[in-house]
Amino acid sequence: MDHPPIALDSGPAAVAGASVAPRGGRLVSARRLPKNSVLLILPTLLFLACFLVAPYFNMLVMSFRNPSTSAVYAPGFTVANYTRALTDPYYFGVLAQTVVLGAVTTLICVLIAYPVAYHLARTSSRWKGLLYVGVLSPLLVGVVIRCYGWIILLANNGLINNAVKKLGLVKLGLPLMYNSFGVGVGLVHVFLPFMVLPILSAIQSIDPALEDAARSLGASRARTMARIVIPLSLPGIQAGAILVFVLSISAYVIPILLGALKVKLMPTLVVQLLIDAFLWPFGAALAFILAASGGIVVYLFIRATGRLMRGLR
Amino acid sequence: MTKVTISRLTKRFGTAIAVDDLSIEIGEGELVSLLGPSGCGKTTTLRSIAGFVEPDVGQILFDGVDITSLPPERRNIGMVFQNYALFPHMTVRQNLSFGLEMRRVARNEMAERIDAVLDIVQLAGLEDRYPRELSGGQQQRVALARGLVIEPAVLLLDEPLANLDAKLREEMRFFIRSLQKRVGITTVYVTHDQAEAMVISDRIVVMFDGRIRQIGDATKIYARPVSREVADFIGLSNFIDGRVKARSEDGYYLVETPLGEIRCRSELTLAAGDAALVMVRPESVRLSREPPDNPDLNGITGRVRDRFYLGNIAGYRVLCGDGSVLQVQEAPWHAGAVGDTVWCLFKSELAWIIPR
Repeated sequence: MDHPPIALDSGPAAVAGASVAPRGGRLVSARRLPKNSVLLILPTLLFLACFLVAPYFNMLVMSFRNPSTSAVYAPGFTVANYTRALTDPYYFGVLAQTVVLGAVTTLICVLIAYPVAYHLARTSSRWKGLLYVGVLSPLLVGVVIRCYGWIILLANNGLINNAVKKLGLVKLGLPLMYNSFGVGVGLVHVFLPFMVLPILSAIQSIDPALEDAARSLGASRARTMARIVIPLSLPGIQAGAILVFVLSISAYVIPILLGALKVKLMPTLVVQLLIDAFLWPFGAALAFILAASGGIVVYLFIRATGRLMRGLR
Repeated sequence: MTKVTISRLTKRFGTAIAVDDLSIEIGEGELVSLLGPSGCGKTTTLRSIAGFVEPDVGQILFDGVDITSLPPERRNIGMVFQNYALFPHMTVRQNLSFGLEMRRVARNEMAERIDAVLDIVQLAGLEDRYPRELSGGQQQRVALARGLVIEPAVLLLDEPLANLDAKLREEMRFFIRSLQKRVGITTVYVTHDQAEAMVISDRIVVMFDGRIRQIGDATKIYARPVSREVADFIGLSNFIDGRVKARSEDGYYLVETPLGEIRCRSELTLAAGDAALVMVRPESVRLSREPPDNPDLNGITGRVRDRFYLGNIAGYRVLCGDGSVLQVQEAPWHAGAVGDTVWCLFKSELAWIIPR
């Protein structure tokens, strides 16, 4: 309307704009990676090949070796290590206990983590930052130190037992440690953040208006949770469950410190076989069986939960 | 059909007051819009009716029954959200059946009701799609259908058209209006878009700072605003300061202004010498080369300073004797040019003294 002088001034600007356009075009084409950009992943590839693939391969070969009492292994190859591990009920029992403990730990983590994650995702409290730190705190201290903390609490003459004995609640003290309970407590405590964080981010991505909509349609809080929030946060639950399960069945320090060797689990057993019994081929076979079992359980879990999440993007 | 009564509703968030002593009665089958700038308390009012906001003071009654303490799920409301809030993990049919399941409606009746409402919103055939497979307008209609299928006592719409593009938004206004009339449901509609409110509503409630400033139909709000604030929020206006000179027998006031005498309407009883602020809408003014030729026309003379062409109208800014500028909207083919000396003519009926 009353800006004709400005309109005239835009002449040079328009020229400048025209010269920018082709540059922009070149930028777009630059996004296509040059041919030898594969070189960029070479360092990582080399690193992984040397320090992951090669040792794994070495272990795989080891697991097929003949055992020996005087050397690391005897000449020749065999599948006896695997048949022994899979047919001896002792080893199968340890494997089963490991998987069950992992599953129970995962389930307890889900039950504890979900309310925390929901609260964190939805709160507008000024303590939110502090709550985050609280959730992450298990990651801030080394796992060994945390286990010693639990030992002080759970030991036969630890804080809890002394307290209940003094109060006259029990005579002999409760078996809180050197059993699956103690190990489970340690596992849940240490791995809880790995459950909270994925669930938290899943819930944060759910529009709170969906909950309002469900309420307006006649759903109570509980039904809104069951029909809307939990189904929509399943990807977070799934991710957290996989993380916690895999970490739990392969945990070594926690079972050693809180279970001593009284709780028989695969990781401790493998280390025992390798270090104490010097049965490298058999230990290697057990390690592969544990990894494979974990993989199978995770695969079945993904299949099962995937069916529930079919409607999700 | 349900009558909604809001009585002395007040809500504070911390020290900020969102809704301040708001009372209104919404009749059976009436569509009332809450119109105001963002932060005026319209959404808080709507969410109080829905039950998502607990008022500090006041009551909300449906048909005389106090529902203030009921949770949302027990109020029998249908609500449509700005971003539709369709359940992404459910198909259209599942979205619609959700509310019916909560009401334990029998399976075959459920199917019938869903089919019927899908027909009304013209979405038949899309019931097995997921929300993400629908366009914005279709999602909008699913949200409407979901709110209607439960046959709620009250329908609440929270800026339901804000996320649609301009063309679709205009179509949907008429769609929602005719749908609401057909279903005959008492409706509260929140919007910041005045044109939307004017098209859609039986009555408009203009809100600022948590308070009701004016309630009335579109004509009343636009042509007879109660305050300068309301006049400014809805459409463009010219304001001319003056003093009452006399009142004529036919109910008009003569106001003495620096631009000359203006004959205008008022709902107030004013005495000679009272201050008066006269409002004239730009589109009420005609440009002419001749002074007014009948007593019912007011005339202000000036010189055209700017002219701009907007396709459907031509806008003029006319510089008047005392240095003030009158905004005028003329037909786009009007020939007035910058520099012309013109008369701005407007009917006495269209000049309005704003009560202060």
